[in-house]
Amino acid sequence: MRRVGGMVWLGWLIAGPTAWAAAFSVAYGLHGLGCELGWPAVNVGPASLQRVAIALPSLAAILLCLVLLARVKATLGPEAGIPRLGLWIGLIATLYTMAPVLVATSCGA
Amino acid sequence: MSQPDVTAIPANPPRRALTLHRELDRVWRNGPGLWGQVTSVSHTTLGLRFMATAFVFFGIGGILSMLIRAQLATPNSAFLDTALYNQIFTMHGSIMMFLFAIPMLEGLAMYLLPKMLGTRDLAFPRLSALGYWCYLLGGAILIAALLGGVAPADGWFMYTPLSGKTYSPGINADVWLLGVTFVEISALAAAIELMVSILRLRAPGMKLTQMPLFAWYILGTAAMMLAGFPPLILGSVLLEMERAFGWPFFDPERGGDPLLWQHLFWLFGHPEVYIIFLPAAGVLSTVIPVLCRTRIVGYGAIVAAILGMVFLSFGLWVHHMFTVGIPHLALAFFSAASMLVAVPTAVQIFAWIGTMWRGRPELKLPMLYILGFFFTFVMGGLTGVMLAVVPFNWQAHDTAFVTAHLHYVLIGGFVFPMLAGVTWWMPLMSGRRRIRGLGEAAFWLILIGFHGTFFLMHLTGLMGMPRRIPTYADNPEWMWLNLSSSFFGFVMTIGFALFTIDLILQAGFGKRSVRDPWQAPSLDWAMALPPPNYNFASLPGADLQQAGAAGAMLKLARGEGFLPGAPRGRREILVTSVGAARPEHVALLPFNTALPLALALAICGFVLLMLAGFYTVAPVALIPVIGLIWAWARRAVVAVDAAPVEVAPGLLLPVQPEGGATLTQSGLRCLLFADGTFFASLLFGLAFLSLVSPGPPLPTWGADQTVLLAAFAVLALLAAGALGARWALGRVEAGRPAGAALLGCVIVNLAALVALAALAFGLPDPTRHAGDAVRAALVAYVGLHVIIGILFSAFALDQARRGELAPGRAGALRNGGLWLGYTLAAAALATAALWAQEAAS
Repeated sequence: MRRVGGMVWLGWLIAGPTAWAAAFSVAYGLHGLGCELGWPAVNVGPASLQRVAIALPSLAAILLCLVLLARVKATLGPEAGIPRLGLWIGLIATLYTMAPVLVATSCGA
Repeated sequence: MSQPDVTAIPANPPRRALTLHRELDRVWRNGPGLWGQVTSVSHTTLGLRFMATAFVFFGIGGILSMLIRAQLATPNSAFLDTALYNQIFTMHGSIMMFLFAIPMLEGLAMYLLPKMLGTRDLAFPRLSALGYWCYLLGGAILIAALLGGVAPADGWFMYTPLSGKTYSPGINADVWLLGVTFVEISALAAAIELMVSILRLRAPGMKLTQMPLFAWYILGTAAMMLAGFPPLILGSVLLEMERAFGWPFFDPERGGDPLLWQHLFWLFGHPEVYIIFLPAAGVLSTVIPVLCRTRIVGYGAIVAAILGMVFLSFGLWVHHMFTVGIPHLALAFFSAASMLVAVPTAVQIFAWIGTMWRGRPELKLPMLYILGFFFTFVMGGLTGVMLAVVPFNWQAHDTAFVTAHLHYVLIGGFVFPMLAGVTWWMPLMSGRRRIRGLGEAAFWLILIGFHGTFFLMHLTGLMGMPRRIPTYADNPEWMWLNLSSSFFGFVMTIGFALFTIDLILQAGFGKRSVRDPWQAPSLDWAMALPPPNYNFASLPGADLQQAGAAGAMLKLARGEGFLPGAPRGRREILVTSVGAARPEHVALLPFNTALPLALALAICGFVLLMLAGFYTVAPVALIPVIGLIWAWARRAVVAVDAAPVEVAPGLLLPVQPEGGATLTQSGLRCLLFADGTFFASLLFGLAFLSLVSPGPPLPTWGADQTVLLAAFAVLALLAAGALGARWALGRVEAGRPAGAALLGCVIVNLAALVALAALAFGLPDPTRHAGDAVRAALVAYVGLHVIIGILFSAFALDQARRGELAPGRAGALRNGGLWLGYTLAAAALATAALWAQEAAS
């Protein structure tokens, strides 16, 4: 931790999982909202508004993780190891848990 | 101030260890007799007491489980009547979760962390004591209810509508809601305490990336407790409001939804499994390398795995609700997250196996329990993956298969590691060696008894036996499996009884243990056995941390570390920076006091009045609570500038930080994080009831211009109050008087409270519809925060009147500013949420 303070390092450590948690929460919230407002019936290009709305926060989280992964070494130097693992956790968790938005039916129980 | 290079600081000259011990012992020891125990705020005393009390509750919970097994041994047993059986299985689960598992992990962490981190106590010793007394009194309420025949009877997760007033008209459910919430004060207190201690009290030079893995596990656990408990507390408050005042949060006929309870409960309930597992895994990561005479494999990977579990475990809660009719896509999200969380768990399992593979495992008693953990927990994890698969879950839901799975996870993942930990640290706790043979016999009885009981329960579950039924006269084919489970259940109980006897014999009659009997390298063994209250005569720097317990023990005892002895007669500890643990300032910890007990008793008075249904009188009981908190804060005031302390040759540190945060500010930030989670859960409730709940729509409010005006007046006054506090702080830091500014701050906040009251009187009747009830709950939440903000401002005003505020001594004012800022943000969000709710309706 030569170059950054402890709280900043902790911020980098939790950045990836936080991105996943935010995307997951927003996606779940938008899912409820979309079902209430009838978004599955509204098409935006080849996909429904529902799928697009849920996929967007996931894409944002994925992009954020990729950007941070590209910068982590330059920012944290020799202390980058564990935060890098954290970013990979965020990236993989977002990809895996949000993948069903591509295939599953949205509002049917 | 400049940040010193810890490795370049010369050591203090050696002194006589006995002289140092006497000097420290005079300052840090407990008072004499029973009163000395009651007033103790020592982490060592309280940690042991937490664990001992948890074991007593474990015994009570165990006896209840035997009653359950006796009832289920035959198909149509008349051993217990149905009402009593319901109380017993509810209390068994509640006791094991809330009165055993969580307090046990809190106690172990409280006892060990300061020793492992190389410090003398936790950050807030009085908070530890308050937590203990709340735990004990809350637990006593629950047990008294059991003995009085009015214990909760709706299952440990208290599903509505069964736990609502219609189906549970007595006080049984209130006992659970109020008693458990009272106990949870101790969990939140411990979480704040542990998190601040790990981040701010590590020995000089102990970087975050080098601290013991146990501390990483507890840091993760504390963060989860801060985020996980507020939804449960919120759910309990809302359900109690429904039961007491008819606010229909969970009543579908008036716009409520029973599923809201399930969401709030499992938002806590699933992370709870990991809250319990992480400290147990911390024990494993500590013990396994030492017993294998090697270093842990994959330190960084384990830290990352902890991180993954902490976050992912909050994305699983809906897998407890797969059968309630949730849309496919949401099911898929939570099913995927449930499967994914197995990965960080597996990383840790493989790291432990790799460590054993690399080293030379010694088959001592703690290792037996560790092997028992592997065997049991992996099976529990695999059945967990089975249950994460939605179609299987639909088949196995609410059957004995789930009961078997959860016991494999909780006993495998928590009890076995904890038994390993207790046998490991008993020489430290008691200063004595154990008597050979008894412990091994206890282990085999527990292992055989456990698997005999619960493995068979998988089969009864797959055959279709539901959970919680008292009889099964129509299914005689389940009898032999149940009878066998009951038989082995008693075998397991005999094992636990033997384990307890072994502990008592060791503590009372064992031979004196040598220091560091396991040749462990960690600092928890670099002290006398049993340890004195101050732990270390001097605090280890980076060099002594590297030297291991054996190399550091004598030097620390001779005062060659930081901050040797107690020459000023104060309880001094060293506060270090979050990342690299550079020494920042010296903090003064409080002496022994009965205040925590008095405060817990005052809170208990409030709880009992609520329980008795004296709702109009109950708020009066909060007056002594406020008075005692005021007295508590007064005792923490440093009224005059203290001279800097030389903690090592050439290293002078201030007693109060000149620019950085005090321990109290760090603690307040943790509290606000938990508070924010509570508020977010309330907003979730509002959104859920507005969008998802199928009940009748929310009638229009009819909010007129007056209401709008009152809302804006509240926000404007709160903003003025927050700015006033900031202005006053600026004046204090500039050495100018701030009394008038603080008086203005109090008046403005009082005016905000009046405006909020006017707004509240304009709200529709909260019993009319769940949407109205949530609205009132939001206003009540803001109102409570405004009242506390007034108290903060008044406290600072009182300090100004006494002449205690000065540059570098404005901690209370800084904390008040933080609180007022949070209150303003919460009020603004609440206003926006109410506007959105009105627009949606």
